Amino acid sequence: MRVAILLLGYAALVGTLAPVLLTRTGWAARAPRLAIWAWQAATVTVVVSVALAGLALAVPTVPVSGNLADMLHACVMALRAQYAAPGGALVAATGTVLALAVAGRVGWCLAAALWRARRERRRHAEVLAMVGRARPDLGVTVLEDDRPAVYCLPGTGHRIVLTSAALAALEPRALDAVIAHERAHIRQRHHLVLAFAEALERAFPRVGLFRAAAEETRRLVEMAADDEATDRTDSLTLAGALVELAGAGVPAASLAASGGQVAGRVRRLLGPRRPVHRVAIWAGALVAGASLALPVVLAAQPAVAATGMNTCPLPDAPVASAERLA
Amino acid sequence: MRGFGELEQAIMDVVWASGAPLTVREVLEQLNRDRPQPLAYNTVQTVMEILHRKSWLSRAKDGRAFRYQATKDREEYAASLIDQVWATGADRTATLVRLFDELDDAELSELRAALAVRREGGR
Repeated sequence: MRVAILLLGYAALVGTLAPVLLTRTGWAARAPRLAIWAWQAATVTVVVSVALAGLALAVPTVPVSGNLADMLHACVMALRAQYAAPGGALVAATGTVLALAVAGRVGWCLAAALWRARRERRRHAEVLAMVGRARPDLGVTVLEDDRPAVYCLPGTGHRIVLTSAALAALEPRALDAVIAHERAHIRQRHHLVLAFAEALERAFPRVGLFRAAAEETRRLVEMAADDEATDRTDSLTLAGALVELAGAGVPAASLAASGGQVAGRVRRLLGPRRPVHRVAIWAGALVAGASLALPVVLAAQPAVAATGMNTCPLPDAPVASAERLA
Repeated sequence: MRGFGELEQAIMDVVWASGAPLTVREVLEQLNRDRPQPLAYNTVQTVMEILHRKSWLSRAKDGRAFRYQATKDREEYAASLIDQVWATGADRTATLVRLFDELDDAELSELRAALAVRREGGR
């Protein structure tokens, strides 16, 4: 019971603290890759903590001993004690349902999202293979269309696609910058990062943390790709290309603008670049990793403690029955 | 399967390039024009049959043979792909990641001005 409460408290703490630390402080835009990792760690921590809390309620802590028969006996006694206690069965049932519901829902939504994205991508790639013209010199596929557009089809058999209008609108250096940006998306596997964040958002739409995580992740992957692209070219070229693409658009079928991301990105590229120090990056990554490991340690802790106690030979203890028989 | 994909593309290219509906024989002649190793009639027929089944091609009986025609122009297919990309809103980014967005005119001119200032400053 104590462990379950600790775990739930920890989940609540991370759920409220992480968005504040990650959005209010402003370092996320300076170290987008670290911020992506931090959001992933925070969301996974919350899911794992809640699932483990359920598990901790369902399964009483069993003292581990070297003797299998003793351990089974202790296990039965512990279970019997829990179910004999008033409300014990209810607590155990609630815990089981909680653990299964959380794990099942997340797993299902993630699998469904990945499967659907894969299917849509394959269908898109099929038509693209037939209609697009490969440009091996640029490593891209060109589509004949008068709307300037650049996008990438990630995953296996990934492709970078440009429309002929985009190709005409961009000068060679801007073209390089744009292609480098899309390559970064593919290389850093942003489609998986996004699939995970969006699956969590879909699984529990009422949880503010997951909503914020998905929204921020969408913004941060663009920044991470921008950073990698400007490592190769300069940020002014990329900023110019973004403005060019956004400005030349004749969006006949313009739908669902994604919230003015581009303006923010261009401003970021035009401003001074202030990357976070390497040491700070490593420290941040370590903190995120530790926050991820903590619930597992919390859940395992009573079992570990029990192991430590029962492996000491205590002649009077009821578990040491072998001696009495002899 | 991989080789078929390339032949499918080549056949569609021929059909798209031609204004009128084509027979298998005509497509074959076009394909073999610049090929060191000529394709067999049956191969082309099979693949065109597949394309018909996938509704890339429509066909009509002409005497004893079929005449094949593209159901849609290449441009229409391209446009449908770009439509799909435009429709990929903020909530569907796992499928494809797009690098472009609309800006309103005020933002656009503001960013252009900022860009011009930075470019001047860099010189």
